[in-house]
Amino acid sequence: MPKLKINGKDVEVPAGATIIQAYKASGQDICHYCWHPGLSVAGVCRLCMVQVEGIPKLQIACNTEAKDGMVVNNNSEMVKETVKWGLDFHLINHPLDCPICDQAGECGLQDQYMQFGAYDPEMAEQKVKKSKVVDLGPTVVLDSERCILCSRCTRFCDEVTKTSELGIFNRGDHSEIGIVEGKPLNNNYTLNTVDICPVGALTSKDFRFRQRVWYLKEADSICPGCSTGCNVKVHYNEEGLWRVKPRVNPDVNGHWMCDVGRNTYKYVNIKNRLLAGKVGRRDSWMEMSPNDATRTAGMRLKDVVDKHGPESVALVLTGQYTNEEYKDLLVYFVTGLKLKNIFHWVNNPEKLNDFDGLLFRGDRNPNTKGLEAALKLAGSKGRWEDLQAGLNGKKIKAVVVAGPEDQSVYPDMNEKVALFAQADNLVWFTACPSDALNGSGAETWQIPVKTHAEKAGTFTNFQGKEQKFPLATTIVPQALTLSEAAEVLAGKELNWALRPKSLGGAKNNYATTERGAL
Amino acid sequence: MSLVKRPSPAAQWYLPGILAGMWFTLKKMIYNIFNQKKMVTLNYPEEKYEYSPRFKGNHVLTVKKDGSIRCTACMLCATNCPAQCIKITAAEHDDPTVEKYPIAYEIDVLRCVYCGFCEEACPVDAIRMGPEWQTAGLAGSKFTYDIQQLAYRPQLKGGVQSVLDDQERHKKGI
Amino acid sequence: MQQTKLLSEHYDKPEFQNLDGYKKHGGYAVLAKALKMDPKAIIEEVKASGLRGRGGAGFPTGTKWSFLPANGEPRYLLCNADEGEPGTFKDRLMMERAPHQLIEGMIISAFAIGSKKSYIYIRGEYDYSIACVRKAIDEAYKAGLLGKNILGSGFDHDMDVYAGAGAYICGEETGMISSIEGLKGQPKLKPPFPAVQGYLRKPTIVNNVETLAAVKYIIRDGAAAYRKYGTEKSPGTKLFSVSGNVTKPGNIEVPLGISLKDMIEMCGGLKPGRKLKAVIPGGSSAPVLTADEAMKATMDYECLAQMGSMLGSGAVIIIDDSNSMVDLLDVIMHFYHHESCGQCTPCREGTGWLSKIVHRILKGDGEPKDIDLIKKVSEQMMGKTICALSDAAAMPAISFVTKFRGEFEQHLQKARTTSGGVAHA
Repeated sequence: MPKLKINGKDVEVPAGATIIQAYKASGQDICHYCWHPGLSVAGVCRLCMVQVEGIPKLQIACNTEAKDGMVVNNNSEMVKETVKWGLDFHLINHPLDCPICDQAGECGLQDQYMQFGAYDPEMAEQKVKKSKVVDLGPTVVLDSERCILCSRCTRFCDEVTKTSELGIFNRGDHSEIGIVEGKPLNNNYTLNTVDICPVGALTSKDFRFRQRVWYLKEADSICPGCSTGCNVKVHYNEEGLWRVKPRVNPDVNGHWMCDVGRNTYKYVNIKNRLLAGKVGRRDSWMEMSPNDATRTAGMRLKDVVDKHGPESVALVLTGQYTNEEYKDLLVYFVTGLKLKNIFHWVNNPEKLNDFDGLLFRGDRNPNTKGLEAALKLAGSKGRWEDLQAGLNGKKIKAVVVAGPEDQSVYPDMNEKVALFAQADNLVWFTACPSDALNGSGAETWQIPVKTHAEKAGTFTNFQGKEQKFPLATTIVPQALTLSEAAEVLAGKELNWALRPKSLGGAKNNYATTERGAL
Repeated sequence: MSLVKRPSPAAQWYLPGILAGMWFTLKKMIYNIFNQKKMVTLNYPEEKYEYSPRFKGNHVLTVKKDGSIRCTACMLCATNCPAQCIKITAAEHDDPTVEKYPIAYEIDVLRCVYCGFCEEACPVDAIRMGPEWQTAGLAGSKFTYDIQQLAYRPQLKGGVQSVLDDQERHKKGI
Repeated sequence: MQQTKLLSEHYDKPEFQNLDGYKKHGGYAVLAKALKMDPKAIIEEVKASGLRGRGGAGFPTGTKWSFLPANGEPRYLLCNADEGEPGTFKDRLMMERAPHQLIEGMIISAFAIGSKKSYIYIRGEYDYSIACVRKAIDEAYKAGLLGKNILGSGFDHDMDVYAGAGAYICGEETGMISSIEGLKGQPKLKPPFPAVQGYLRKPTIVNNVETLAAVKYIIRDGAAAYRKYGTEKSPGTKLFSVSGNVTKPGNIEVPLGISLKDMIEMCGGLKPGRKLKAVIPGGSSAPVLTADEAMKATMDYECLAQMGSMLGSGAVIIIDDSNSMVDLLDVIMHFYHHESCGQCTPCREGTGWLSKIVHRILKGDGEPKDIDLIKKVSEQMMGKTICALSDAAAMPAISFVTKFRGEFEQHLQKARTTSGGVAHA
């Protein structure tokens, strides 16, 4: 373990680490664009210059190995001057179209210019004109003028996805990122290139021009897209969720996440949600508050249990809820209603063990492992055949379903609704409205529940790793979590004062109110 | 605690005061009839006061040479607006040199405090505070100005041209 | 003064181009001798000769060879014949007139470093050179001088020609390696150095054409005999490509250490009535020498380094008073702008910026602060990039504007008076 001194501070780094890693480890600032912890070293931006005692020339920190006893600094006048000019070189052909650029507000050029540059530009020549708004594929747009040719995106495609769609064409200051004709940037990880682009050269078609980033707040979360459980950040404001970005976790997802996972914010937003409880059956629905709907459903369930015994009620669970919710719901049904008919609805059993080699898994539920553990703990031995037999034989009079949050990954939705509707009563917890449910023939309670972004909880991923996540924002305040639903089903009152409220109101400018001046 | 001061008994006898006031009015009326040019009041709305050209009145969105809107939908005005009365919806423009433009730009002038911060924040001279100030209207909806109203209202006679021209800047290589 | 012909001794004989003619003049005898030697002894001999790389950097060849890890197969020898430096044309002549001399030198060197495969990377514009070398390699294969078990020694070696596509940057050793690997010709980050991880991430030695050819003569005559030429620290002879305003430009071979004045004399001196203004002693990337400095200079690595310039590839460009230095710098800057690979930011953006400023001054739109700006920009490009192209652009820029500042200022003044503008101080 080499020990070195960085700007007068002692740092110990693992053997083979570079100086820039030592800087990061010691928490000190160093200017850089092309270096990325998840990619190989390119050493082309020439900004992470440091002065190493005993070496006359300045060295780049990203390609210099940290050795024992090294004395390194990047706050001498020589280094500062070099970095300043390095930034100047980056900016002389940069179009400075920040007002249009989507990256403004989270741009490496803006931030590092303010921190390390702040010089008076002397460039008075014509800038090099390059192509703008280049369509690279279904998800990404390129602006070559803004590009600083750090080669992060090309290295990502070469090293991480190994698809090599992107390359640098031409030479000198005419160099441009591009794709080979007929081979668009089209894989399941394209939007990572947008994340790692330090400037606004690569922008996401999905997010482009929809929000300025300073209107967004971010919160940690776990991607509900598949059983990998990538650590993510959701960016949201008063109008809802706008995008999902990966959060570094070397044990689970490293620096990346897939494009499928990035779309999981869409069904969370208010226009896709079920806002009120609906009670009734095909073509005749009555709307009521989720709380009332749940209470009436709870009373009905008790009636059924009283009349026909606990065997007449079945509970069906999907792997899309948190461990805490499973626990609370099972406590009510197993100890409260003495239920034994508890079943696990697996959406696509044939694809359950698929894996694309990087992150994306065939099991499109974030918490299959958690559900299995909860069922085991509850002593459930429910087999799907028993449920089917019970329904066909009219033994089961009521079915309670914790339905999928993201219905698009449940291709058997219609089929299952038709199956469960054979019972007389169907209580269905769902975050989004569903045509299949609206056509249900049984007496149905559609009860809106909260999505992963609106509650705190734990998902257990495919490795069995339990990952906690906090509440990010509240989009449908009246919707219930399953834990709350369990309480209401049991006839208890919720503490309304303590329930999270919707952000609502006009959108705030978080850049100026929280991060200081723009 | 506030004290209420009652008028003295003498002052409760109002007639002298009323007569003094009427005498003053009569004096001014006669004076004004014979010195109409020196009158300090205007016959609004037939006559209107000339304000300085820098007067911060109703907002104007400037246009380019071809008449299209200058605004790039950068949202800096909306960000800077202390009354939060500006609402912009951006969209992708077909021309890659324009790239981004507003498909909706609304100012709720009833919320607006006419501070002029939007004008100062604008990096491309797209919004200005114009000389107009008469904003009377009968319906609340009339006070949410849209692009049509802000850039092309009849008073502007086809729009105010921005001093910043992207085409020229591109040609100069800036 | 006469030339000291060692490498260029038989350049004038057409038969020297093919194998039979080459053998008539003692060709491949040295190879037979070398193959009987211990490879380590060859490296020691080259070290003792003090031979320095003739491609531009002047790094001692024997030392470079000894950087190779002791064991590790395979290892590669690459011959750098991408003669891109403006003003240089010595390797072309060698490849056209004496290709076997290069091949022999290469086999000896490959034997010394234990390499079984070598490539000759020739720039794409050298059509004829490529054809000559290809023909010579074919002849050598047929004669059993290449391939398996060369001359019964048990040493196997294969050689190939790789034609570049004319990028200046592919003359840089790691750029060349990238190009041979089939990648975009861009220099690689160092460390690791090519001697440790080069072509296909295997140990690789890259040497110039002239260096490899000189190895043959060191083995033939011994290090001590080679050291008789030249100076103590710069031993041996060197091929110089003299161009510019001399009456008889061309390739000459002289021992290192002769005075620049003599060299100009050897090339027939300046044209009548002209006065020497400046000399670029080592290709366009070398800092320029003024006439005074040039008169005092001797052509060896040390003296030129002392004067703040460099011997480079031995491309001596003579400039007389009929040329404008601004014009010349504009051409040089345009070249480097065009040839920058675009990898490192200071070089990619800096070369373009410099080129634009100089061009503006030339056009007459210059401003007084531009001269200092050229210097500032150039200084920030020096030693800040992966390869030396950035330095190669910055060094002439700095030396031109410092040593001929008057001329640049005159240009500004002229511009202001002719365009009718007013000087803004």
